[in-house]
Amino acid sequence: MDSFSSPSSGSSPQLSTDDIMAQLRTQLEQAYAEEFLETVRGKCFDKCITKPGSSLSGSESSCISRCIDRYMEATGIIGKALFNQRH
Amino acid sequence: MDPSALNSPELQNLLAQEKERAMISEMISKLTSSCWDKCITGTPGSKFSSSEANCLTNCAQRYMDMSLIIMKHLHQ
Repeated sequence: MDSFSSPSSGSSPQLSTDDIMAQLRTQLEQAYAEEFLETVRGKCFDKCITKPGSSLSGSESSCISRCIDRYMEATGIIGKALFNQRH
Repeated sequence: MDPSALNSPELQNLLAQEKERAMISEMISKLTSSCWDKCITGTPGSKFSSSEANCLTNCAQRYMDMSLIIMKHLHQ
């Protein structure tokens, strides 16, 4: 990365706070996406591929599709439940 | 990069906010995983039954209740 090379003389391009935060957020988004993918793979494999055959059946494929949608929906329900309730 | 830029209060503040957001995200992620296991017992359908949806909501709220009890218990 250019911004980490030592400047020879004169003005060095400084990494601004905005740049740092933008990079951090991008990396966090990527990490969240990977984690979500990994979790969904595990859950849906367990739910939908109960007796592995020599190829994925149509019902296994539709199960996986529904499973992904339901898991995303579940994530939303949990998020709302945590932040909407007040005792 | 000027190392003193890392000490700026503005950056520290933004990092603290981002850290809090990350902790919340992580909590939602772990709780969704646990509550899915507890509540979605059959094959996923094209929508949640009302009992599945209620179970998920209850699950999150009971987790919060439990958290409170744990805090109180540890502060006695």
